[in-house]
Amino acid sequence: MTECPREGDAFEAVAFGRWPAHVTRELLAHVAGCPICRDVVDVAAPLQDERRRLMRAADPPGAGVVWWRATIRARAEAARTAMQPITMWQAIAATSIGTVALALIAASWRSGAANLLGADLLARFTIARGDAAAFAGFGADHAFIIVAGVVACLVLAPVALYLALPDE
Amino acid sequence: MRDVTLSALERLDAGAAEAEAFQMDEEAFRLFYDRTARPVWAYLTRMTGDPRLADDLLQETYYRFLRARVSHDGDAHRRNYLFRIAANLVRDMRRRPRADATAIEDVSSAADTPDPRAGDVAAAAERRVDLSRAMTRLKPRERDLLWLAYAQGSSHGEIAETLGLKASSIKMLLFRARRRLAALLREVDR
Repeated sequence: MTECPREGDAFEAVAFGRWPAHVTRELLAHVAGCPICRDVVDVAAPLQDERRRLMRAADPPGAGVVWWRATIRARAEAARTAMQPITMWQAIAATSIGTVALALIAASWRSGAANLLGADLLARFTIARGDAAAFAGFGADHAFIIVAGVVACLVLAPVALYLALPDE
Repeated sequence: MRDVTLSALERLDAGAAEAEAFQMDEEAFRLFYDRTARPVWAYLTRMTGDPRLADDLLQETYYRFLRARVSHDGDAHRRNYLFRIAANLVRDMRRRPRADATAIEDVSSAADTPDPRAGDVAAAAERRVDLSRAMTRLKPRERDLLWLAYAQGSSHGEIAETLGLKASSIKMLLFRARRRLAALLREVDR
């Protein structure tokens, strides 16, 4: 047996402060003989005391303060959400710039003639336009630069996205 | 005049933004908060054992409540939903214990206002310690069930709604939890 039809009466007597002085003898006798109602009274009495004590001691902040804090937080979250796409574009731009810069540094390090590199590349590429073999040769000659660019992208992109995305 | 107009427009704008972000306006919130803040704080304090933490969780509870896009059938449903948020926050808090956390359930120093209805202050304090000790030996869900049922006076349906359990299982869960706490209290008494 997990319930008794009188357990509601027993709980109400405790909750409304009638237990045990202001309840009928019949209810007192029932509770004394019913293990379920006895448990209800034994559990409800200290819990009700505890609730009354905590309710008296409760000093929650005012409704205005809670509302104000919630408003501030909601606005901050809305601003962060609105900023997110801009930050993403900024991150992509930064990644591209970083990639190009790294590629140029790598090329200059390889040839040792940074000032001539741009003109050399342009000239060879212009001459080789439309010529697949020459284009392939260009790729082979500058494989290091291409690989450096790809590696830079792979390294920088996650870092930039990590910085761009919000904490949550 | 211009200032007044601008200020009114700004207020209108801010009010519209809040209305969009929150599920109720400030006036309705004030009324609801005044009716519910103390019971929610009492629940959070009892379940966390830390009144300061209860303050933080109270703020978080109402914030999540305001941001929730949920339609409520009435005040009782709204209140149950609020307690559900509070119960979830307590459960999350239990999963990640804080370094500076005080002993859970030891709220005897939290609010030592003597209860005039308890008569003897010393006896009341002793009963409180007994209850705290017994509660620490219960499972968190048992504590939730017992508090909601016998301190809050919630119905089985309300408890099920608050704790996200099946209404049909509440009777048995409550019976077991009650029997266990009663036994522990008798054991402490001896």
